[in-house]
Amino acid sequence: MNATPPAHCGSRLRMAAGITGVLILAACASTPPAPTASLQAAQRAISNAERTDAGHYAPGELSEARTKLASADIAVKEQRMVMAEQFADESRVEAELASAKTADVKAKAVNDEMTHSNGTLIEEMQRNSGDKP
Amino acid sequence: MNTINHRGVMLRKTLIATVVASVLLAACAAAPVKPDGAAEARNKLTQLQSDPNLASRAPLAMKDADTAVRLAEQPQADKDLAAYRVYLADRKVEIARAQAETSLAEDQRAALSAQRESARLDARTRQADVATREADAARLAAASSAQAAVSSEQAAENSRQQAAELQRQIDVLQAKPTDRGLVLTLGDVLFENGRADLKPGATGNLNKLVAFLNEYPDRNVAIEGFTDSVGSEDYNQGLSERRADSVKSYLTRQGVGAMRLSASGRGKSDPVASNDSAAGRQQNRRVEVIISNPPAASR
Repeated sequence: MNATPPAHCGSRLRMAAGITGVLILAACASTPPAPTASLQAAQRAISNAERTDAGHYAPGELSEARTKLASADIAVKEQRMVMAEQFADESRVEAELASAKTADVKAKAVNDEMTHSNGTLIEEMQRNSGDKP
Repeated sequence: MNTINHRGVMLRKTLIATVVASVLLAACAAAPVKPDGAAEARNKLTQLQSDPNLASRAPLAMKDADTAVRLAEQPQADKDLAAYRVYLADRKVEIARAQAETSLAEDQRAALSAQRESARLDARTRQADVATREADAARLAAASSAQAAVSSEQAAENSRQQAAELQRQIDVLQAKPTDRGLVLTLGDVLFENGRADLKPGATGNLNKLVAFLNEYPDRNVAIEGFTDSVGSEDYNQGLSERRADSVKSYLTRQGVGAMRLSASGRGKSDPVASNDSAAGRQQNRRVEVIISNPPAASR
């Protein structure tokens, strides 16, 4: 009877170890797949931004998007798929922001140019009409 | 010792329980707190939504941003997940702002285009106006020079006519052009012998003179009386003055302004013929009417 408790204790330990092992295995087996869709979406968003010349108009955002995508790739290699997906999503919105800012800067530049040329036109006209009243 | 030990164990257990409880309580208290950065994202979104120029623009991006901010505001124990959601919310708000501002710029561009069009139209209108004015001026100048040509032709014609008319009048008066003007010699047939009164029927030639002077009002007249050498100098001087005066007063009575007339006696000086013969003396007894040339030769 005296030996029983230790034996009981040992079997509990073994059981715990076994469960832990199973859990670890289960964890390995259920390692989520790489967030391929998110990664591809991020890559597409970056390519789109590059096409609109975001490298010139929103270089900070574009560079941040690339950094985030690189971080996502590293996380995939480290099998940290949740983190990888988050990085990928962050990269995508950052690239989308780069595109949006590029479009905005371009639109405003066009307006500035028009305002300037309108001013020149009006000024010239007034000068001409001053010469020939 | 055992009792003390047991009490010590009890005390430790109570302590642990208390610590666990307080940790749990703290966790409960911390749970409803929004993740870091969520408030900033909400703030940026509110600013965007309360900008009257931007609020109604980029509705899709706005809705996206609003959803993302709501999600970011949810309490989240997983710090990474919370930070991820805040990050997405922040960027989506910025995307919404950029798109709204782009849309505003595009609307403003339409106004700028309209302004440019109106400026161009103005410029064209002004150019057209200037061209029209210049054409008008040119036409006017052409017309006035044509008119000037016509009127100078007319003036030339007028002066030709006037010259012809003057010549005709001069011919009528039988006046002689000299350096002093036209000289009209009235013979002694005007007067009774030794008298200064004009003969009533001898005013025909004088009336022609009146007509001439009325026609040419800018010409003045000097009336000079002359006699022959018969008789004293004083007598002849006086007679020549009275005869000149007589002609002057006749002209005045006919309406010629006295200011235009001067009368003087020259006596027997300046004979035009010899006083030795009766015919010569008759020529010397005369009144000369000198019609001055006009002040300016314009007429």
